[in-house]
Amino acid sequence: MATPGTRVISKAPDKGIFPLDHEGLCKQEMRLYMKCLMTNNRENSKCRSEAKSYLQCRMDNDLMQKEDWKSLGFHEKEDDNVKNTT
Amino acid sequence: MLLQSGCVLLRQVATSSVRNFPNCWNCVVRIPEGNHFHFFKRSFTSRSFQTNVFSSVSVKFNRHGQKFAILTNCARFRSTNVKSQDGNWKDRLWYSLAVAIFMTGATILSVPLYRVFCQKSGRGGKAVVGDNEKVESMKPQDRLITVKFNADRSAQMQWDFKPQQREIQVRVGETALAFYNAKNPTDKPIIGISTYTIVPWQAGYYFNKIQCFCFEEQRLNPGEEVEMPVFFYLDPDLLDDPRMDNVDDIVLSYTFFSSKDQEVKYPGQQIMPANAS
Repeated sequence: MATPGTRVISKAPDKGIFPLDHEGLCKQEMRLYMKCLMTNNRENSKCRSEAKSYLQCRMDNDLMQKEDWKSLGFHEKEDDNVKNTT
Repeated sequence: MLLQSGCVLLRQVATSSVRNFPNCWNCVVRIPEGNHFHFFKRSFTSRSFQTNVFSSVSVKFNRHGQKFAILTNCARFRSTNVKSQDGNWKDRLWYSLAVAIFMTGATILSVPLYRVFCQKSGRGGKAVVGDNEKVESMKPQDRLITVKFNADRSAQMQWDFKPQQREIQVRVGETALAFYNAKNPTDKPIIGISTYTIVPWQAGYYFNKIQCFCFEEQRLNPGEEVEMPVFFYLDPDLLDDPRMDNVDDIVLSYTFFSSKDQEVKYPGQQIMPANAS
């Protein structure tokens, strides 16, 4: 194995490719998420619920395979915390 | 050699009489007058019995003028053990066969064996299984890393391609969502394909994408505009890596290239209406 420093590693995504949202079905959720980021100094931790609702929209519209929230890194306790703060 | 009836075994001939044949017997036969006999000299080697046989006939007359035939029969046995000679090549054959089967089996099993042994210890990114478990089990850490987004396109690519956000503060171990925006301002559909790089290189190990829009051809119709999400996380293992101690900024850079074959038509492809939302 070559030493890790000698090349940049490009890895394939774990769950594959997002199909393109040609019809703009989840544009609203995307806008809400971006708005949240802007108001929260671009901190990802504070916009978890918006991210979750965007992914939910994708799943509902068959633009994403339905996955368990845990496998996407969304744990229940954490969501409650976010809801309390926002 | 058959001994003619009436043949009397006389004595063992001295070894020097026939060279290399220690076991020789003489036999004397009286040949009646007027009879014709045919005698054959033979010398042969028999493999099965491992003997060499030498036989000869000589005709002599006694002082009364009577005809006598002296038959000499000699045999020589090989000194080596008959049994070991026979079984030796069989043993060798079984041994070679066993070695050949073992080698073939090792070749066939090498792939699953590699998976079993090296998968657990490998960290090159390809041998690791259980990425799902990683995402499920990891917890957000305190460390914040700023992930900056960059968008490039090749000279031939006519899309407008830009990130929706300049940067995101991401907690290590927490999944994050980011968006890029792409628009096709021309009047022809364009197929693009993207690739990405991570700077600094050592962060590339820990930047894991759950889902993105890279490596696959994406088609945009004239005037179409889409958002392209990237869903990723930073592996908490980077906290243990000393090379990542001073890294607070990571740049994710996407580059779009136009696909060569622009005339490809997909079966059942419908022209999408211009984005109306």
